Amino acid sequence: MNFLLELLQILVFPGVLFAIGLAFVYEWLDRKIYARLQNRVGPLYTGPSGILQPFADFIKLLAKEDIVPNEVDKPLFNALPIFALTLSLTGFLALPITDLRGVISFNGDLIFLIVLMTLICIVIMYSGISSANRFSTVGAERAALQLLGYEIPMMLSAISIGILASSMWVYDIVSIQANSGWFLISPGILGFAIFVLCGQAELERIPFDIPEAETEIVAGWLTEFSGRKLALFRLTKDVELLYLSGLVVALFLGGPSGPVMPGLEFILYPLYFLLKTLFVLFLLTTLRALFARLRIDQMVNFSWKYLVPIAILQVLIVRLVV
Amino acid sequence: MQEEELQKMEKKSAYELFFDIPVGPQHPALKEPAFFKFRVEGERVVGVDVDVSYNHRGIERALEDRNYIQNIYLIERICGICNVAHTLCYAQAVEQLHGKEIPPRANYIRLMIEELARIHSHTLWLGVAAHEIGFDTLFMYVWRDREVVMDLIEMLTGNRVTTAINTIGGVRRDVSDEAKDKVNKGMNILEERLKYYRKVALNDPTVNARCSGVGILKPRDAIKLCAVGPTLRASGVKNDVRRDDPYTLHDEVPFNVITFDTMDVFARVLVRIDETLESVNMIRYCLDHMPNGDVRIKLPLSPPVGEAVSRVEAPRGELIHYARSNGTKNPERYKVRTPTFGNIPSVSEMLTSKSDYEVNIADIPIVLASIDPCFSCTARMEFRDVSKGKTWIWSLKELKAHCKK
Repeated sequence: MNFLLELLQILVFPGVLFAIGLAFVYEWLDRKIYARLQNRVGPLYTGPSGILQPFADFIKLLAKEDIVPNEVDKPLFNALPIFALTLSLTGFLALPITDLRGVISFNGDLIFLIVLMTLICIVIMYSGISSANRFSTVGAERAALQLLGYEIPMMLSAISIGILASSMWVYDIVSIQANSGWFLISPGILGFAIFVLCGQAELERIPFDIPEAETEIVAGWLTEFSGRKLALFRLTKDVELLYLSGLVVALFLGGPSGPVMPGLEFILYPLYFLLKTLFVLFLLTTLRALFARLRIDQMVNFSWKYLVPIAILQVLIVRLVV
Repeated sequence: MQEEELQKMEKKSAYELFFDIPVGPQHPALKEPAFFKFRVEGERVVGVDVDVSYNHRGIERALEDRNYIQNIYLIERICGICNVAHTLCYAQAVEQLHGKEIPPRANYIRLMIEELARIHSHTLWLGVAAHEIGFDTLFMYVWRDREVVMDLIEMLTGNRVTTAINTIGGVRRDVSDEAKDKVNKGMNILEERLKYYRKVALNDPTVNARCSGVGILKPRDAIKLCAVGPTLRASGVKNDVRRDDPYTLHDEVPFNVITFDTMDVFARVLVRIDETLESVNMIRYCLDHMPNGDVRIKLPLSPPVGEAVSRVEAPRGELIHYARSNGTKNPERYKVRTPTFGNIPSVSEMLTSKSDYEVNIADIPIVLASIDPCFSCTARMEFRDVSKGKTWIWSLKELKAHCKK
């Protein structure tokens, strides 16, 4: 019975199905907010206010021809989209949503969560290189360089949270925040800013959409992917967006915790989770609408000149407080 | 044996670190087909090869088969965006053949429409440039405000894009007092918005990062490579057909020739925004000083035998039309030199890395866009013998002689 319940948790709620469904809704929201910020209407026709548009796009891509060029590294090329999606969904399972702990939860899982993001980036690099396309190669090169730029400040700000909670377990981090206030308000504000900015780079969104810069290198590392594979990569991006907002919420905004009536946790916790992730999503989308795309050298420069020192400062501040 | 060894050595050479990136004929940064082959080393561009002839439409030949009135509508389709400049240039050339002056009111209307088209072209370019550097929000905002001028053009001429307002001997439509009020109001909105975009361009850090110091064209090179229009003016050279060889009423209507001395893409952005503001003032002047009278004189269909050259400052730069008449109702020869063609050598200069100046792959789209390219008007033909690797160009006479053979 317990085994069945766990399976249900992994596959349906708050696991894979929930993640995918929510990811589509968040993509719609992202597009809609972005469009409104730009004085456009955004998706409009599929479903009420176009809410089904991302899902329709996904179905459409599934039905499209899946082209595998002769020159590509076929085993890698075919497997990578599945790897990417699996990685992002695994990350989602470790987020606290219905409870103060995720479906997967163990001591030290914060490191696991961060490593997952790096792995997704490595998958991206491989997909660029395995495509045997010039634009893809440049895109993969840029993805690797960008990883060098944002990964260290991101890890440092996550570590500062670990120091604040004296634990690398997300469960501990969330429950401490549930008892004594969010880390965002206490000295984590710098870390929050850095984490959101680096998240934007991780998700390859403006101003850091350098690896897939449309006007420069067509679609970057994604250029050769079509049909089902492209659909899976797009879904990966959506789940990653959701996962990253969830991670920010868990680290800085107290996870799913909040004022609860006893007995209603199973409704209120997911509700708080949704509200908080929506706030983070709104931040991420606004950032996307504010800037022009940076050049890769400018991005790495910016990261090492400003983000890394600020992240180190954050760690120092936290060390002094604790 | 030796040959094989040599080939092996060549394969292992550092040369293999370089590879070619094709931009075009189909590429998201280009709105029209042109081919740029970039030799890159990592992110750095080391060489560029340009080929523009992907869209040869044979318009010059087609002009010879139609009469002068029909040609207005064909000339207009050389370029959708600078259609007003093309019809204006054409009408001037044919009027020169006739040796007739057009009524002053027609001249005012021509100038007004020309400047409205310049506003529309420059704002369109600003949006495209913003898109090239990934600033889609600015792109959407600029194009929203561009609708103001599009609506004005539609109200005045009956069409949003291909206006067909200029005709031989004047203009087709008069401007009513009501319309004048509307244009005035539209100008106020545009002036306010353009000043705002100027502020955005000057203050936004990411726009600065992407545009400053990119695509540098020194004045010496600009003159040597025959750059025209805003590209030339952004290199600090004061050159504008409207000032140097005034047509319509440009010697009466006051305006400043905008130049900028940073010589990069940023200068081209600011030159275009400032020029748009100048156009707003010129349109206001036209509205205030427009005399009453006819807007068109009737001219016979066939002009007398002769030749004419007419120049117009199109939004993209100097546009030259040449017409030769043999006294019939069709032109004997018609020749168009569009501004983009003049700017192509400069763009390949901007995209070549030099010792102290480095071009990145990321700079390619914005530098290409900075000349406001319109490749469909630039097709030229050359002959190539692939087996011998020889390239040559035939004159019209030689070509005709070859066809008769």
